[in-house]
Amino acid sequence: MKRQMDDWAQLLAAANAGDARAYSRFLRSVAPMLRGLVRARAGSLGDAGCEDVVQEVLLAIHLNRHTWEPTAPVRPWLYAIARYKVVDAFRARGRRIDLPIEDFAEVLPASPDLDPTEAADMAKMIGMLDGRSEKIVRKIGLEGASMAETGAALQMSEGAVRVALHRALKTLAVLRQRHIE
Amino acid sequence: MKTDDLIRVLAADTLPEPPVSGRLWSVLLPAVVVTLLANWLALGLRPDLVQALGNPVSLMRFVLTCALAAVSIRIALGLARPEGRGVVRFWPLAVVAGAALAMLIWAYVATPAEARQMATVGKTMWVCLVFIPILSVVPVATLFWALRRGATTAPALAGAVIGLAGSGIAATIYATHCTEDSPLFYITWYSLAIMGVTMVSAAIGARVLRW
Repeated sequence: MKRQMDDWAQLLAAANAGDARAYSRFLRSVAPMLRGLVRARAGSLGDAGCEDVVQEVLLAIHLNRHTWEPTAPVRPWLYAIARYKVVDAFRARGRRIDLPIEDFAEVLPASPDLDPTEAADMAKMIGMLDGRSEKIVRKIGLEGASMAETGAALQMSEGAVRVALHRALKTLAVLRQRHIE
Repeated sequence: MKTDDLIRVLAADTLPEPPVSGRLWSVLLPAVVVTLLANWLALGLRPDLVQALGNPVSLMRFVLTCALAAVSIRIALGLARPEGRGVVRFWPLAVVAGAALAMLIWAYVATPAEARQMATVGKTMWVCLVFIPILSVVPVATLFWALRRGATTAPALAGAVIGLAGSGIAATIYATHCTEDSPLFYITWYSLAIMGVTMVSAAIGARVLRW
């Protein structure tokens, strides 16, 4: 467990310096912890409902990754985001949840091969983006296209795709707040 | 959408966001300049400003309001981090408040009984209560703008601290106009103005600092 935390700090530091592969590994390694936490608390939401919450938290981590100070430990930062967003997600769904921070220490990560779950909310919100942003997100997410391929397909420069993607992800978070509440 | 697909999208977005502190400093200096100008144009500087700065009792209001602003900005930056609520130390605020209270008590004792009421009410109470909040608008707004890019998990508290910081700046600037040199006046009314701004900012923070 201790080793994993050190890894998280390294991965996130690399990610914030622009290393997309380290970032992807970081998110993949954080997701099972979040999934374990949400499922332990909210089995009644169903698997897809839980995965919606996990994805909301991942999006929040992404949009706020610049608030992590490289000298500070990752775990309290991560748990604070997770806790805030999980409580928020439940409030938005008309339930209250009590989430003491100690709970995080005891969470067993859900097994990684438990992932196949399809969540619905994010897809719905991606559908609400403007046409071009929606295409960019779908191409990269569902088709696994690279920036260059996406740019070529949409006749945009790679830099323009990057900026559009960055904006689209911020918009998704705003849409979620408006849409679910 | 599958979580793995989402992660692929998130990882593809490598555009960095500037840290909150960088954003804050880049707008705070212009905000201070604008507020200084507004104060100068609307109210003007006190004619004896230089002499007043040489008088320790008068000087203390600059020290107190400056200290309030500096301490609060630091706390606000801490609260901009998600885990900030548990990490930030609030005691410097208590030190500033304690110093102001000590100053008030000292002035109460040192002022002859028959002069106390006049010293406290002064002549410009309303100007002070109106202009400190008005001068707070730009600093408070810029602080909110910077902290909206943070991720505070205590929105109302962060809003209140922004109110303290912004009105601390405003009070420092207002003090270059104000000629009321008794701590009985300036601690009483500056504090009241600052508390008003702080309460409004807390309410604003609860709305705009959510994410």
